[in-house]
Amino acid sequence: RSLIEGDPHAVLEGMLIAAFTLGASQGYVYCRAEYPLAIHRLEVAISQMRELGLLGEDIQGSDFSFDLTIKKGAGAFVCGEETALIASIEGRRGMPQPRPPFPAVSGLLGKPTVIQNVESLGNLPSILRNGAEWYGQYGTESSKGTKTFALAGKIERTGLVEVPLGVTLRTIIDEIGGGVPDGKALKAVQTGGPSGGCIPAEKMDLPVDYEALTQAGCIMGSGGMVVLDEDSCMVDIARYFLSFTQAESCGKCAPCRVGTRAMLGILERITAGEGEMADLDKLEQIAQTVKDGSLCGLGQTAPNPVLTTLRYFRAEYEEHIEKAQCSAFVCGRMISYHIDRDRCSGCGACARVCPVEAISGEKKKPHVIDREICIQCGACLGACPSRFAAVFRRSGELTRYEQRKISKKDKK
Amino acid sequence: MKLTIDGQSVTAKKGQTVLECAKENDISIPNLCTHSSLSPFGACRLCVVEIEGMRGYPTSCTTPAAEAMVVRTDTEALLNLRRNIMALMMLEHPSACLVCGRREQCEQFRPAAEKAGSTTGCHTCNSKEVCELRILSEDMGITELPVPPMYHERPVERSEPFMDRDLNLCILCGRCVRICKYHQGKAVIDFVGRGSQTCIGQAFGHSLLEAGCQFCGSCVDVCPAGSLADRYAKWHGKPDSVTESTCIFCDQACALALGAGNEKLVTAQTVNESIPVCVLGRFAIPEFLNGGDRLATPHVRVSEVLRQVEWEEALEKAAAELSEFAGDSFALICDTTSTIEDRHIFKKFTSEVMKSKNYVEIEPDARGVSRCSLPKSTKAALLTGNYVDSAELKQLEFLIVQDCYPTPASERADVVFPAAIFAEVDGTILDRSGQKRPLRKACEPPGHAKPEWWIISRVAESMGAKGFDYESADAIAHEAGILDAKLWVDRTDAPPAATNLKLRRTYFRGHQIDEKVRGLRELPVDDSCALEVTTEKTEGAFQILEKNEIAPNVHEIVISALEVAKKALPGQFIIVMVDEKSERVPYSLSGWDAEKGTITMVVLEKGQSSRKLILLDVNDKLAHVVGPLGVPLEIENYGTVVLAAGCYGIAAIAPIAGAMKEAGNRVVVISEARSHYLHYYQDKLQSVCDQFVQTTIDGSMGTRGHAIDALTQKLDAGEKIDRIIAIGCPFMMMMTAEETKPYGVKTLAALNPIMVDGTGMCGACRVTVGDQMKFACVDGPFFDAHQVDWDELRDRRSAYSAEEIHSIGRTESVASSNSGHKCKCKH
Repeated sequence: RSLIEGDPHAVLEGMLIAAFTLGASQGYVYCRAEYPLAIHRLEVAISQMRELGLLGEDIQGSDFSFDLTIKKGAGAFVCGEETALIASIEGRRGMPQPRPPFPAVSGLLGKPTVIQNVESLGNLPSILRNGAEWYGQYGTESSKGTKTFALAGKIERTGLVEVPLGVTLRTIIDEIGGGVPDGKALKAVQTGGPSGGCIPAEKMDLPVDYEALTQAGCIMGSGGMVVLDEDSCMVDIARYFLSFTQAESCGKCAPCRVGTRAMLGILERITAGEGEMADLDKLEQIAQTVKDGSLCGLGQTAPNPVLTTLRYFRAEYEEHIEKAQCSAFVCGRMISYHIDRDRCSGCGACARVCPVEAISGEKKKPHVIDREICIQCGACLGACPSRFAAVFRRSGELTRYEQRKISKKDKK
Repeated sequence: MKLTIDGQSVTAKKGQTVLECAKENDISIPNLCTHSSLSPFGACRLCVVEIEGMRGYPTSCTTPAAEAMVVRTDTEALLNLRRNIMALMMLEHPSACLVCGRREQCEQFRPAAEKAGSTTGCHTCNSKEVCELRILSEDMGITELPVPPMYHERPVERSEPFMDRDLNLCILCGRCVRICKYHQGKAVIDFVGRGSQTCIGQAFGHSLLEAGCQFCGSCVDVCPAGSLADRYAKWHGKPDSVTESTCIFCDQACALALGAGNEKLVTAQTVNESIPVCVLGRFAIPEFLNGGDRLATPHVRVSEVLRQVEWEEALEKAAAELSEFAGDSFALICDTTSTIEDRHIFKKFTSEVMKSKNYVEIEPDARGVSRCSLPKSTKAALLTGNYVDSAELKQLEFLIVQDCYPTPASERADVVFPAAIFAEVDGTILDRSGQKRPLRKACEPPGHAKPEWWIISRVAESMGAKGFDYESADAIAHEAGILDAKLWVDRTDAPPAATNLKLRRTYFRGHQIDEKVRGLRELPVDDSCALEVTTEKTEGAFQILEKNEIAPNVHEIVISALEVAKKALPGQFIIVMVDEKSERVPYSLSGWDAEKGTITMVVLEKGQSSRKLILLDVNDKLAHVVGPLGVPLEIENYGTVVLAAGCYGIAAIAPIAGAMKEAGNRVVVISEARSHYLHYYQDKLQSVCDQFVQTTIDGSMGTRGHAIDALTQKLDAGEKIDRIIAIGCPFMMMMTAEETKPYGVKTLAALNPIMVDGTGMCGACRVTVGDQMKFACVDGPFFDAHQVDWDELRDRRSAYSAEEIHSIGRTESVASSNSGHKCKCKH
């Protein structure tokens, strides 16, 4: 998207080069309708190309004809899968089809079709201009060139970064991204979008290339890179990503449709404190079934968040199940709110903000939270003046008093 | 090309898939979404194989066979993967019965055909013998599910003509979607929604009719999981026999596969799965032939009134009268829906016995209408249908009507012969191009109805004629030289009515087909409304105050019934009539409030009457509620009482548990359900007992197994139990009785036979307990379970299965019963 919005000509030139090479006469840019700016800029770029005679019949007297159409998609995640994308362009429901036949043999409208990512096509013009050796100087032996990542999450500088493949995660996060803010500890990096995996902090020296990521149970995918700190619960992260893939499954094949729903069910039980140790084996078994049995890439990669968190953060799952404890204090059903009698001055600030009137107490006397009524919204925690910091949380064996950020204003 | 499958060298034709090639070589690979007349889809993933040089596990249904390919179909990894995928699929299909240890016993005890609103397990599913999911799960030996089932709780769709759709059974194999596109060339149905909410439906929430469905039934025929069902056929279970015959609803003469069960016609389907038949051929025949008002006995007019008589008397009467009308004063009028053999006899009878020229054979018009006037000289006539105006018939001196249904003509007749027709007879007919097509007998005619050639031959013989001693239609075919009829199985096109509902015929021998076949009335017709459909509004004193579906297919209904509420005691029941003409059905009382004057019952949708009941809305009134009936349960301090409950019994046990506890007993309640989503009333029960045990058959909640398993566990552990009370389906109570017998604990069961008056007069609820005959309504409902003759109870409960099933077909579908008049006219 950033490439289309920033340099649509590079992508369109890449398409033109690819089409000329293959003898294709029609190209499509499939772009979701929710990206109006990208679509607008593509339209502008295409009309400029037409004016310059770079599209249409007999381009520049070369005997080569090629035209482009923008196809707006409705935003289904599965339409990133090539056969589903073709179905969507044809006006059918975006559902993947088994290959063979591969699109290169029988694709859009039954014609041989090449499907490429925007980023790959956008790289084409500069590679042709500067040569393969120039491009090959970036990256590693087997993963050549550069890759753009969308750096997000608990990181000082978020945004898009283009790096040569093979740099370490540490370089991206610490040097480029400026590290985790507020002095918190880095816990993991989630790469590759919703169906990617989580790499733990110990593996920060992992070089970012295709092989290393696959070996770690992750994918390069769309180039998403979400940084997670100590306040992130890995079970909840897995649940969150799975709720996305579960909703975005096209529903065609049983392993993906039912398997993601079944895994989500287990994860919801675990984060609600109702899990059993046997659930972990079940999770692994279902995840493997979904990975091996699904029709398309969506299903085959959907279990990645579960499998990688189980691989690197099994202790966190066990803590949820055995101690009903979420050490990151994320899973609401395992957290209880309390007021420290020794610290509470009875100002009543907490009682005033409590939406369910769970807090009672006389003025100037310690207040109490009725845990039967409490809905764990956390309003009291925010309302308790930092000079008292009397509200604290418990999860399993852990107790946590709010660590308040001291803002610059306070410092002054 | 040559390839290797499981070490076996096989040959494949060009274009064949690995699955097709394996199948041809008797190598079986499980599959669900493939179908012989459909292109590969690759959705169910069960046909995965390993192919050397290919990544992962490709599906054999979509992978083209290739030269030198090396395929493995049965490695441990594959078997595991398939089993796991199958188990996932079973999570969204009510599969508790598939993993139940007592299934075989249950199926032996239950009637062959069961009815229910929504199917929540194999026990009420009539696709069990043909369910591909069930067969595969058995083959794979799946006895456990990885996680609790994820039932979707979607309402059953049954407001469409002829078809019910229960998406809770659907496994999304997409066969219906593909066959619809393939046959109709357009997508009437398709996948709707995404993710786990994906289901089969029509665009924009349209009904099937609005979406352009032609009701060819192909989708029903290919459904492997019982999700799509022929509403009429589904309650009959699997047909005992299938006969290939020819359709005579029009002169297309399509070949049909006719399925019969219990000697009645149950289904009609195309013989060639790739070419559908029309709505009449697919859906109308069983309902037309099984109509409750079919002529089934001969009638003779005795002093102005038509009376039922034996064949002999009717034949003698006809012969005696007809001998007065020899020559052209007699006319025989038939149409070409009678077989050629029948018509050969008609003609022979008219010319040789009656010496008349007036044999009239009508060719029905495009809509199936056969009309004619009587020849001028006619004084006596024999009609095989409703062809002639009543005014003309009035002039006749003697009239015989030989037909399948009563008509104005038969009501005027002096003699009425009940005729066997269509699938009830052998014979030959001609199609529109003059080809001979065979009719083959697939089922028995109703009552004493007989083939038409038989009737006329007997009349001829009664009149002293010779040469009518045919043994069969075949003998006549020999005489008339009409041999070599061939079924039209190699059609290349669907009949016109299969793609345009308006082109179907609407009459058969002067009978309006849609008068007999309800679903047809909702289809578009060429002319304006012919029939007025109205629903009677129920009126009565018993108003429904609350109504909730508390579990799939289980409805809790609160009714205002002052007098019943005042007098009700634990263990008693009521008898409910929904409207003035409805059946009287007993329901256990699950609660009452004497002050408010309300009673509560929990109703399982199980057939026509319960369906009528649950279709009512809050504020609607029931016609009658009689009660409280039955002997209240003896409540004393026995010590420890175990109450075992299943199905509707869970609600019935609640007031008993309360009363037993109040009497000082230690009360143990065991509540059983097939799966977690079928449990209800659990909090209520828990609050009125000392120990509460939940069981599910699939182990998804509480202990795995039946209530009896939890009970015998207690008995085996030596727990002191003084009394056991079981309420549930007859199977559950029978099992409880059998398995508690060795322990010698007094066990009571609430028997639920068919009841009519509920006051001990009619005897319908007769049961045998020990060596005594008892009436469940006044002596029961509670009896010593160890003494009950359970087989008799089962047989007596299923005595009217056929009638019940037929009545379901005649019930208004939901849409029309809610909106009253539903056709395109301006009423």
